[in-house]
Amino acid sequence: MAGQSDPHLSVFSAAEVEFLAEDEMVEIVPNMKMGPLNFICGDFGPFRPQIATEVPLWLAVALKKRGKCTIRPPQWLSVEKLTQVLEAERDSPREFQPLPFHYVEISRLLFDHARDDIPDVYMVRSLIEDIRYVRFSKVESGLETISGRTHAVKLKNLSAMEVNIVRPFVVRTLQAFYKHDSPQMIQHPDTAANRPPQVADRGPRRDLRRR
Amino acid sequence: MAHYYDIDDIIMEGELISVSFHVAANGVGLDPGSETNCVEQGSKVELPFWLAHELHQRQAVSINVPACFNQKTRKEIQADAACVDLRNRCLYFYELGCKIAPMVGDRTIGSFLLYTFTCRYKEVLSKAHSSAFVVAPKFLTLLTKEETQLYEAARSSMAAFRKWRLGGPRFEKASILGKKRKPND
Repeated sequence: MAGQSDPHLSVFSAAEVEFLAEDEMVEIVPNMKMGPLNFICGDFGPFRPQIATEVPLWLAVALKKRGKCTIRPPQWLSVEKLTQVLEAERDSPREFQPLPFHYVEISRLLFDHARDDIPDVYMVRSLIEDIRYVRFSKVESGLETISGRTHAVKLKNLSAMEVNIVRPFVVRTLQAFYKHDSPQMIQHPDTAANRPPQVADRGPRRDLRRR
Repeated sequence: MAHYYDIDDIIMEGELISVSFHVAANGVGLDPGSETNCVEQGSKVELPFWLAHELHQRQAVSINVPACFNQKTRKEIQADAACVDLRNRCLYFYELGCKIAPMVGDRTIGSFLLYTFTCRYKEVLSKAHSSAFVVAPKFLTLLTKEETQLYEAARSSMAAFRKWRLGGPRFEKASILGKKRKPND
């Protein structure tokens, strides 16, 4: 696994998460004629000029680089949709809006390789950035609620890249809290010695976000 | 020993802590204050943790509560946990606390550690992900080893993400561009 910084903490590097995101399907409009492609992951095509078809993102980017197609940006990657999402993110401080799991990676790949296919690309780009900032500050304020009684964290609608960024920190934090809140460390006066360590009941699971 | 190869665990065990001898020991030269090579019964000596631990198991010494867990520190932590310079007092504050708590028989150390960590964790959290470009902020010098590792984990993953988002090697600056030329060159 190249590009990995610390094998114990972060399971994926950003480039690896991007690699996973390249399997997402995206619609393209070819400008050439070609028979169907038969891959291990599935069959794609046939490709006919001006007839839209669905292919994985990596294939779309490869074709786009050769000037063989235009990529149709996904529904959610438009100024109206993203403005709605951004407003909803700002209005609900305790919830994340449903966005594609790989929205950070997909948008970056499209901005890099298909910027001429996205209408208002500058606007879309800054909206994505704003959404990411708003969501990340929500993650941070949510992490403040972690305490000794927390032993699991639930993050609904969080995307792959966002999880990947906070993973090393959250894992270490939970480990530290687990250690410091263990029954061996926090003893009760009456049942001090020779009691087996209990792990069964450590308080209710805490949702990071209330639904 | 769960952390036999953990270098931090090994260094931590070198922390000096104060112990009182229950028995007299001959020919050990542990007590720098005494004129002979012996340790009198009841004398207070500073020993590294690993030695104190072994002697404690053999009931030769009793361990005194280290200064970083005394009432004065506790009051300071209660006043403003984030500003207390724990690094200076004991770099391995939490690790030492966890190991020493069952040996000194002070049950409040455990909850004191948890309280300290909970308060200081919030400070680390608020700084770790945002200040990626600030070079060695002053607050870093207050953190213990465990807190520094936590901060580093967050900072490095955020830095890796920023690097990826800027497009990796394509936008990497040549090392010569950042340097300022000295006037007398």
